[in-house]
Amino acid sequence: MTASTDNILEIDAIEVVYDGVIAAVHDVSLTVPRGKIVALLGGNGAGKSTTLKAISTMLAAERGMVTKGTITYDGKPVKDQGPADMVRLGMVQVLEGRRCFAHLTVEENIIAGAYSRKLSKAEIRNELEKIYTYFKRLRERRKSQAGFTSGGEQQMVAVARAMMAKPKMLLLDEPSMGLAPQLVAEIFNIVNTLNQKEGVSILLAEQNTNVALRNADYGYIIETGHVMLHGTAQSLLNDEKVKDLYLGVSKEGRKNFRDVLRRESAVHPDFHQA
Amino acid sequence: MTDFLFFIEVVVAGLLAGTMYSLVALGFVLIYKASSTFNFAQGAMVFFAVLAFVGFMELGLPFVVAFFVTIVLMGLVGFFTERLVLKPLMNQSEDTLLMATIGLGFVLEGLAQAAWGVEVRRLDLGIGDFPIPWIIDSTGLFISALDLTAGLVAAVLIIGLALLFKYTKMGLGLRAVADDPGAASSIGIPLGNIMLLVWTAAGIVALVAGMMWGARAGVQFALVDLALKALPVLIIGGFSSIPGAIVGGLIIGASEKVLEVYVGPYFGGAIEGWAPYVLAIFFLLWRPEGLFGEKIIRRV
Ligand SMILES: Nc1ncnc2c1ncn2[C@@H]1O[C@H](COP(=O)(O)OP(=O)(O)O)[C@@H](O)[C@H]1O
Ligand SMILES: [Mg+2]
Repeated sequence: MTASTDNILEIDAIEVVYDGVIAAVHDVSLTVPRGKIVALLGGNGAGKSTTLKAISTMLAAERGMVTKGTITYDGKPVKDQGPADMVRLGMVQVLEGRRCFAHLTVEENIIAGAYSRKLSKAEIRNELEKIYTYFKRLRERRKSQAGFTSGGEQQMVAVARAMMAKPKMLLLDEPSMGLAPQLVAEIFNIVNTLNQKEGVSILLAEQNTNVALRNADYGYIIETGHVMLHGTAQSLLNDEKVKDLYLGVSKEGRKNFRDVLRRESAVHPDFHQA
Repeated sequence: MTDFLFFIEVVVAGLLAGTMYSLVALGFVLIYKASSTFNFAQGAMVFFAVLAFVGFMELGLPFVVAFFVTIVLMGLVGFFTERLVLKPLMNQSEDTLLMATIGLGFVLEGLAQAAWGVEVRRLDLGIGDFPIPWIIDSTGLFISALDLTAGLVAAVLIIGLALLFKYTKMGLGLRAVADDPGAASSIGIPLGNIMLLVWTAAGIVALVAGMMWGARAGVQFALVDLALKALPVLIIGGFSSIPGAIVGGLIIGASEKVLEVYVGPYFGGAIEGWAPYVLAIFFLLWRPEGLFGEKIIRRV
């Protein structure tokens, strides 16, 4: 086996443009090894969602386009596929903001996740039961209208719905957004279990660096559409700059890597020439 | 007592006529739910569908064949609308889509008249517009056979569509798309297919409504305006609610007949044309979201 087939996803230097002019992602490269959890970290507007949508081909619906670079999923280039094709190939994105079908019940939401699969009623029931073993809370709420469930439950519905498509790879966009720490922990627990028991590879976009790195194998930090730093989750958690900027250890109000680098080169004028 | 019987007769005739409004309103609701746009072309679709049907009959096709050929034709109209109009405009504002459906309406009206001519056609469904004897005998009510048939056909179609949406995979897909097209797309629900389904269903609804109305008053351009009575129906029932479309249709149907008969004379008659709109305006003031307008569920 070659090295590349061990990676379920390989992104090589992509640039993404919205409306033909606005560049949202300038130069992002990353790989997701099969069966691993990779975190894509960065503040608001860094380009995390854009990168995920480039992979799931949901960009077109927002007039966005990959203008440079390549994306390779499961050994094949991602080029002319549409979202439905990607789902059939086992790649499912859980969009930012949960996005449940508000007027459908919790169970109908989850069943809708199987839309791309040809399953009998009995098979759907089986799959549902399996999903409920991971998302115990949802079993109790199965008959509730999704729009009336809590934020945490909606996030679970969104992930459960995606799992119903039997993905090889999940793209999770800020699952912790707006949730209390305890719920965030519960959701990450489930995500980790799914990764281990179902072997699903995960690319996880997060602003919550701490939680994400504690649950991931590898991490990439992006800012304004550029990868600034990457490494194993452990090495990033121990990195001084990361601690300083993203883990809230710093007391100063610096905002991003650029500032840090600029500061360093100001303090050590020959920092870059060295 | 005869006065009371007469009142009942008026209400029943109104309710039966109202089922047709319900049906047409349902066509609007479907498209509104799936693409968040008020389909101004629905009236033209009614006209186009029934004119095509009559045209096929004139070409010598048997009734049933003409019926199904027209349904296929409406499916094609849906297909091209989806491919040529809706898909390219997918990310545009709802106003743009609205303008597009108005344009589509003109195109359909033009096409229909170009293909089949402008004169009023007769459509004989073999059902007379006169009272049914056994109903007179048993209840003393004069109920038109055509009204009754139209009411039953509309009821069957509405129930059928409701079951389809509630219990089939396609129906689930449609409801998902209606709630959140982006999320639906993210789990692999093909938006294009759902749109096609919706437009075909709206086309069938249009054809049936056109046939029932055409059988009474002739197949003519006025059907377009008749179909637009779905607008007050939707204001009363709520734009995105299927039960709302049904109840709204019945309310409009019954109240316009009652008003026509009992209030009409004071206005010199023929208030059926505008009374529903007045009613709708009162409703707008009282309950802007409509009777069944789905509560907008906010995300927590
Ligand atoms: N649909 C869009 N059209 C135009 N610009 C967009 C669109 N979506 C995002 N952007 C821009 O792209 C940049 C990256 O956004 P995004 O990928 O959403 O960042 P993140 O998910 O990291 O918060 C931002 O500057 C944002 O304003
Ligand atoms: Mg984002």
